[in-house]
Parts: sequence; structure tokens; C-alpha cells
Amino acid sequence: MYKNYLKIAWRNLTRNRGYSAINIGGLALGMAVVIMIGLWVLDEFTFNTYHKNHDKIAQIYNRTKNLDTSEIESFPSTIYTMGSVIKDNYSDYFTHAIRATWVGNYVLTNDGENYTQTGQFIESEALEMLSFEMIKGAYSSLDEVNAVVLSETASVAIFGGEDPIGKSIKINNEMDAVVNGVYKDLPKNNSFANVKFFANWKLTEANEPQRFERVKTVWDDWSFQFYVQLRPEIDFETANAALKDLYFQYGPAESLEGFERRGLHPFAYPMDKWHLYSQFDAQGEPTEGRITFVWLFIAIGLFVLVLACINFMNLSTARSEKRSKEVGIRKTVGSNKQQLVFQFLSESILISGIALLFALTLVLLTIPWFNELAGKSMEIPWANPFYWASIFGATLLTGLLAGSYPALYLSSFSPIKVLKGTFKAGAYSAVPRKVLVVFQFAVSIMLAVGTVIVFNQIEFTKDRPIGYDRSNLISIQMNNPEYNGKYNLLRDDLINTGVVEDMTQSSSPLMGVYSNGGGGISWEGKDPEMTPDFGILRVTHDYGNTVGWQFLEGRDFSRDFATDSSAVIINEAAAKYMGLENPVGSFFYFGNGDRAEIIGLTKNMVMQSPYQPVKQAFFYIDYDRVDYINIKIKPEAIASDAIAQIEEVFAQVVPSAKFDYGFVDEAFGQKFESEERLGNLAGVFTLLAILISCLGLFGLASYVAEQRTKEIGVRKVLGASVLNLWQMLSKDFISLVIISCLIAIPIVYYFMSQWLQNYEYRMSISWWTFIWAVCGALLITLLTVSFQAIKAAIANPVKSLRTE
Amino acid sequence: MLINLRNIFKWVQQGGRRVFLLKDINLEVKEGDFISIMGPSGSGKSTLLNIIGMLDGFDEGEYNFLNEPVHQLKEKKRASLFKQYIGFVFQAYHLIDELTVYENLEMPLLYKKYSGSERKALVADMLDRFNIVGKKDLFPTQLSGGQQQLVGIARALIGKPKLILADEPTGNLNSKQGEEIMDLFRQLNEEGVTIIQVTHSKKNAAYGKKIIHLLDGRMEKI
Repeated sequence: MYKNYLKIAWRNLTRNRGYSAINIGGLALGMAVVIMIGLWVLDEFTFNTYHKNHDKIAQIYNRTKNLDTSEIESFPSTIYTMGSVIKDNYSDYFTHAIRATWVGNYVLTNDGENYTQTGQFIESEALEMLSFEMIKGAYSSLDEVNAVVLSETASVAIFGGEDPIGKSIKINNEMDAVVNGVYKDLPKNNSFANVKFFANWKLTEANEPQRFERVKTVWDDWSFQFYVQLRPEIDFETANAALKDLYFQYGPAESLEGFERRGLHPFAYPMDKWHLYSQFDAQGEPTEGRITFVWLFIAIGLFVLVLACINFMNLSTARSEKRSKEVGIRKTVGSNKQQLVFQFLSESILISGIALLFALTLVLLTIPWFNELAGKSMEIPWANPFYWASIFGATLLTGLLAGSYPALYLSSFSPIKVLKGTFKAGAYSAVPRKVLVVFQFAVSIMLAVGTVIVFNQIEFTKDRPIGYDRSNLISIQMNNPEYNGKYNLLRDDLINTGVVEDMTQSSSPLMGVYSNGGGGISWEGKDPEMTPDFGILRVTHDYGNTVGWQFLEGRDFSRDFATDSSAVIINEAAAKYMGLENPVGSFFYFGNGDRAEIIGLTKNMVMQSPYQPVKQAFFYIDYDRVDYINIKIKPEAIASDAIAQIEEVFAQVVPSAKFDYGFVDEAFGQKFESEERLGNLAGVFTLLAILISCLGLFGLASYVAEQRTKEIGVRKVLGASVLNLWQMLSKDFISLVIISCLIAIPIVYYFMSQWLQNYEYRMSISWWTFIWAVCGALLITLLTVSFQAIKAAIANPVKSLRTE
Repeated sequence: MLINLRNIFKWVQQGGRRVFLLKDINLEVKEGDFISIMGPSGSGKSTLLNIIGMLDGFDEGEYNFLNEPVHQLKEKKRASLFKQYIGFVFQAYHLIDELTVYENLEMPLLYKKYSGSERKALVADMLDRFNIVGKKDLFPTQLSGGQQQLVGIARALIGKPKLILADEPTGNLNSKQGEEIMDLFRQLNEEGVTIIQVTHSKKNAAYGKKIIHLLDGRMEKI
């Protein structure tokens, strides 16, 4: 029986090659999209599952009320003293409690050679907690005060093929360390993937004894990170309930009132949420973030698959007249409806099986490209039986879904009618087909418009006035002690090369604001209840000239005024925040009685998220804690040439530092990377969705043209021109597409407006986007349909009429 | 009694009026009968044949097949009666173009729970009997009309039906091929198969033991 079914299915496929190609091709494309999205989603959901205890590991975050907006804010920084409290008093809740510094770039020196690597100082239990796979050494490898463990990549980069164990290296030219272990590189989908070495926490403590002496006693130095692993029997709710009152129980009496007012409390932020739920809502709960995109992509995948299934349904039912005879015969020789349904379903499952083979081939061929697009390293998990079970299950399901409607439709034919030849698909038999086409196009249009709006928003943000000139700016992180006191030397040497316009240093790179605060600052007219919060930037005198500050009022820092060492420049946002109309000339008053004159007001500089409004910030002169060197290359200089000359100067002035520079332009571009990646992915899937819909339309058009051959012949004999016929054949499809547009546009408008709400700095959706979408859809439809329409219209009527 | 039709009426509604397709048909068919139904186009011949073949329903009257009241039977039971006892032969042969001669013959058996070896034996018998062994791997389009109708009849017979219903079986054939087919029907009838055929041709009708004339849905004489 099955053999007979499969045989006839196969023969039908090979006899109608065109239809089969469209059917299988469309379905294969759809399946390939689903497989790709499946891999992507799997990769997202398995983020951090590398760590055995990923479900029990957490980072300690703090929540505080923003007294201005009353929103609860969550942030990852912790204070040293809080860590000590957890270590001493919470061992009933946590098996591990681990201090760590922020991840940063360090210069590692081996044998006189410098290597910049990303690293983190962390307490030694981390290796065990994070269950690293050690290639050399053991979980105890980080126990020695000066121990360092390297990732495999870092080990190869620094030591080549040599065994690094026991080798001594210098960190930032100031800390002596010994390599004690090598761990296998973490997979890309891991929060620690970019960290290439871990050094013992004690090393950083020993390196800055005075700082840590202070840090160990105060309750306001938010410079550290803190990780914990919950005990197996403790859940997050219990742990967080226990942490809630930590500050009030253990904090110093004089700070309690401030803690109280801001509702300050620590909480454990589970590792499983770090990646997908990285945004906190107004209650400070991690509920948003990348997960939105994951769901979005799952939806796109399902939609694309449904589109492909719709193609299959439409083509099968459109061709029903061809199959109807078979149905009639089978019924008269004794088949019942069930058996026919079964037959057609097994046929569609066969087709989806063939499509699966094509889809897998397609995925195999394109996965390197897809990985590049998505910035991941995904592969088909060949050896995973669960994966295959779900693939085959999904194929079966697709076959059933795609085949269900045609099977029910075909098997319901009355044998007398079809065999007598009086069977004609009635006027209404095309209605479901039309509904499906409308659905297909509505989805395609929604995807297309959505993608265009995403890209428009990215472009819009990129074009945002940023308040300074980022072209030809390069930035170098410099915390090498050898450089101390050489600011003027380096600056003079650089300017003397002739390719450098100016050089400055700042406490944060141009793409970030690393210090915030200013709670003790007041000014005239300040609301006494307000606890101010500013972005704080320490800069040298040459900052304004280097970055191209645009002053609205007042002047830049100048060496001519000795008083400028205690002057500040504020940005527009700060003037607004402080409620000052003419801020220049007024003063900042500090808690200790000092004051600083506001000498300048600059345009807002976009330094943080380009999607958010610029935060109020002030700048002041400091030559000490300014780790970022910014250099403006002369516009007329050739960049590569200039870089070479700058590097030479660096090698002379600070020979032990590695010249590791970055263009500010590129750093700015990177702020859009994640959005652009997602946009590109969505774009590709949208194109495929449109392609699939067009394939289906093409198939339907050819069917309609074929069905109306006789009519076309008669009309032609009676004098219809090719143009008339083309209009006649295209008209139906055009009206379907217009209906699709009418349905799609309000829906996509609604969803994209919602999406744009995520961005403070956002464009308004232009009606042109929709007009273009409608025109595009009509154009594509016309192109698809016209091929068949014109083919039918120019055929010789003598031939088409003779076929009757 | 194989078939007993009593007071069969069939009509369609057209513009609020009943248009009768069949009016008061009474017919008894015994096993071993060979009946020809004649009449002009639109007289209801095919409709009657389809009702007898249980492919079509009727609006009034009683139909007993082997003493089973067909008009009261459930769809499933009716289908199984049909499957077991009735074979159809069509004017346009109605073979499945995508299947070979062998596979076309085998198809009815697939719906009747025969084992693979039984099917093989039965199909081989039929091919033998109709002298078409050499053509078993050809597709219908590769055969002449007469040969196709031969396959059509072989297919109708393969399930060993008591009754063969033939709707103008020679309508698409030339006279020589037609004659051969009619001879075959006579031979089958002699072997005990009951046959009811619809035909336009007096000559072919004469092969029947009994001729029914239909005019405007009414039986004229027996």
C-alpha cells in the first residue's frame, strides 16, 4: 500500500518537474531558515551553560531608587565591604563567594615582548566555580598569590608552542606573576569568552596596598564585581530575601539614612539571565533584553515555515483538477476517504522529507557565512540524537501541516463528478487559496517594513549630532607606570611629527563615561532634596582642541588661567539638569567647602549609548587618573602613515607599552554592532520569506495561465491585445497584494512603534516607508506574475484552441 | 434477488422547482442477468447506473442489494458492500496515468486487505486471462483504446465482483474493438457475473438478456 502511494507520489513529482521544483524548493528554503534560526536560538539559550553550575551561579547586583525618577535601578558594581560581609556571614547560602575586578586590557610582558590581553583579577575559587576545563594545571592553579592562568589562545599567543607552566610574566609592567595553568578556550556563547587570562585577586590587592587599605573600610567605593554560587538547597528567592537587609544590618551607622532613602539592597542576578535578560525594568527586575529578539526570531522562523507550507497547499489544491481523476478512480475501486487522506499526507511527508535533504545541504553550505553574519560559531550538532529527533519530528509535522488541507480537499471530491468530467473547481474554490496568498504577502510585507524600520533607526542614530568631531581621532589606553610624568614629552614629540594636530588625555574613552557621582555637589538654586548624579570626566587642557568641542557659552580650559585647575566645563544636559539658564560664571560647591567656577558650556557629547539621551556631565582638569590618550591626526595626513609615525614616538617615549590603538570612528560603529547584526539577520530571513512567497505566486500564476489557456485563445482571436491579456491576468494578483498591504501596514506600524519606544533617541516612522513597501510589493508581484501572463498572452491561439 | 429497486425518485431543485432525473423506477435484477439500459442523452441512464453502483444517492424509494436496504445503511457499510460486490467499467477507461498496467490492476486489491503474494497471484491470473502479460509494465498512454478498456475491465473483475456496471464501455472504441469487448462481456456473463451496461448502440444492447428503455427519467418498458 505505502509502496503504491510512494510510487505514485514519486512519479507525480518527476512528471511535473516545474511544480515539484517550486514546491520542494520553497519548502526547503523555509526549512533551511527554520534550521538556521533553530541553531541561533539554541546558541542563545545555551549561553553560559558551559559552566556545570550555571543554574546556581550569580553575580551580586545592587538595586537603588533613582530619587529623581523614582525608578529602581540595578547595577553590577559592589563595594569591598559588602563582599566581606557576604563571605563572613552568608556561608549558609553560598558555596562560593568571589571578588573580581572589572574585565580590562592589560599588557603582559614575557621575555621583553609585550602582549595586550583581556583579563580579570579574581579570587582563586573561580576556576572551580566556573568549572573551567584545565589543559594544564588544576582548579588549585590560581591559589598562589602571584598565580595567573591563561586561556589556550593567550598561551599560544604569548608562548607559542612552549610549555608556559612556571614561566614568569609581568602584568602592566608592575606586577610579577607566574603562569600556573592553562584552560581550554570558552565557547563564544559565554559571558567570560572575551577574558583571556585570570590572575589571582590578591595580586591586585598587593599591588595597591594603600588603596585597598581604604577600600576595606569604606561603604561607598563601588569599584568591584562579586560572584556567588548558591548552595544546592538554596534557591534565588531565599538567597535574595537573606541579602535584602545586608546594608542595614552591617553598614556603618552614618550611612544608614542614605541607604534607607534609596532602598539600597544587593541581590543575586542568576547567570542564566545574564545574557538574555540584561535589561532591568522600572522595578529593577531583569525581564527584558535580548530575549525579545530570540522570541522575534522564533516568530520569524515559524512564519517563514508557514509561508512555505502555504505555497505547498496552494499549489496542491490549484492542481487538484489534475489529481481529481485519480481520486475518482480510487474511490470507484473501493478506496474510502480516510485512505485517500492518508495517501495524500504520505505524499506531502515524502515531499517534506526531500525538502529536508535540500534544506540540510543548504544549511551546510551556508553556515560559515551565517556564522559570520550572526557573529557566532554555530555548527549542526550531528551527534545529538535529540537534535535529529526534533528535526525529523518537525519535518513530519511540516508534511502534515502542509498536506492537511490539500488532503482533505482532494479526498472530498465526488467520484461521479470528476469522472464524468463535469467537475469544475467552482467560483469559491479559489477563495481559501486567495486568503492564503493574502496572508503570505501580509507577513512578507510586515517583515520587510519591520526590517527597513530597524535599519532606518540605526542609520538615524548614526547620523545623530554627537557634539564633537570623531574623525581622525585615535584612542590608546595607557596605564603603564613607565609613562608617568611624560605627558608633555609625548605630546610635544607627537606634534613635532607634523601629522598630529593635538593630543589629550581623559579618564574615560570617548565611547564611555566611567565615573559617575557628585552626590555632594550643590549650586545656587539647587533643590536641597536632590542628590545630584553627574557623569564625571577628568581631562587635560588639550581635550577641547583634540576632540573639537563645540562651545555654546564661555570658553575652553586654558593654561593661561591658573584658576582653571579648579574650574569645570559642563554640557548642555547638565545646564538643564541644574536648572541654570546662564550657567557660565556660577559655581559648583563641594561638600568640603571648595568651589569650582563653571567656565564653559558645551554641546552634548554622545559618549554612552547613542540611543539614549546624553547624561548631564562635567569636565575638570586632572593629569593623574587619566588613562586614555586621545590623538587627533591632521586631516590632510595619510592615516596609515600617521599611525606608523605615532607608533615610533610611543616606542621611544614608553618602550615597554604596546601601541594598541583604536579609531574612535570604529568604536562608535561598534555601538551599533549588535543592532546591525540582528538587523542583517532579520533582513536575510525577510528576503527569504519574500522569495518563498514569490515562488508560490509564480506557481499560482502559471497555474492560472494554464487553466485559462482556452479563454486566452478565444479572447485573442476576438482581438484582445497582449497588453489587454496581461492586464487581465495580473489584475487578480494585484488586488490580492493590495489587500495584503492594507492588512499588514497597521499591524506593522503598531509593532514597530512599540519597538521604537525602547529607544529614547528615535525616529518617527515615515509614511514613505509604507508607500515604498506597497510599491515594492506591487512591483515584485507584477514581475513574478508577468512572466507567466506574457507567456500565455503571446502564445499562438491556434495552438491553445486546438488543445480542446 | 441481487438488486431490487422500488419507486426510486431522484430530483434536483432548480429555481424553486423540482426537476426530476428519475421517476418511479422499479427494477429487479437476479444474479446472472445481463441488462442493457438504453435511452437518449439526459434520459437518466447514467444516474440510474450510479445509484445502483452506490456512487450516488436518491430522494425517494427503496433499494435492496442482496436483501440489504441500501437506503438505510451507514456510509461505511455501504462502502464495504460496494467494495465487495461491485466493479465499474467506464467509457473513458479511467486508468491512472501514473501507474503501470500491473499497478493499475493491483490497485483495487490494495483497498481489500489482500496479502502481497495473493495480490501477485491474482494480478498474474488477470494478465494471463486477458492476454496482456507482455504489456504489464507499460503505462496506459502507451496502449491503444481497446487495450486500455481491456485493462479497465480486468481491473473491475480482479476483486471478483458479483456485479459489473459498465457506462458506455465501447463509446470510445472503434467497432471492431467494441465487438471484442462485448464478446468479453457475454463470456463473463456466461461465467456467472451479473452485468448492467448503459449504451447508445442497439447492436451492443442486443448482447443483453434484457433491455430497459429510459425516457425523461421514466422506464418505458421491460
